[in-house]
Amino acid sequence: MRGVPTSSELCIQLPADVALHARPAGLFVRLAMGFQCAIKITCGDREADAKSLLAVLGLGADGGSTVRVRADGADAETAVRALENCLRTIR
Amino acid sequence: MVGIVLISHSAELAEGCRELAAQVAGDDVRIEAAGGGPDGRLGTSGDLVSAAMVRADTGDGVLLLGDLGSSILTARHLLDDWSSTSSARIADAPFVEGALAAAVTAAVGASLDDVVKAAEDAWGAHKL
Repeated sequence: MRGVPTSSELCIQLPADVALHARPAGLFVRLAMGFQCAIKITCGDREADAKSLLAVLGLGADGGSTVRVRADGADAETAVRALENCLRTIR
Repeated sequence: MVGIVLISHSAELAEGCRELAAQVAGDDVRIEAAGGGPDGRLGTSGDLVSAAMVRADTGDGVLLLGDLGSSILTARHLLDDWSSTSSARIADAPFVEGALAAAVTAAVGASLDDVVKAAEDAWGAHKL
């Protein structure tokens, strides 16, 4: 039987012209809220709960910066893949 | 989906906050601005807030968020007279941060309890 992945992690570079502020941050956080797993996003030396809008806004992740998304829980792999797709295609 | 009413002494402040919250939460959440007095100047108007509560009510609950002093008193009076089958509550939260956190939480279909909590947790969000 295949084991269920319980944690997943990925580094993602934001599109050069899209900062994780306002509308993009709202899209990201709403997507994260749909998963059961705990999700952290880090940018430089700042870390935020991916399900907290105010924390994600506080990251100050500018366009072109690299963020790390880490999820822990049963749906971690699906969550990280979905969030990666969101961040890569965000406009 | 829980609806949100933003009560401010200033019509512009309520409307600006509504615009910001709608930008992060998308178009599905009903976020209603109720700012200014009956004469359009600074103040609060029970009639404006009451009408905004009705517009925000889709049956899943209404969250009220006020800026200062008498906007909260106005909201409390209106809660006493609220006769809809859905619940209405006031969040004890900072106006802008609470509105954004509540709006994004309402947008994913969270319960009124969870939306109130999201707004009130905004006290813990540091800017530096």
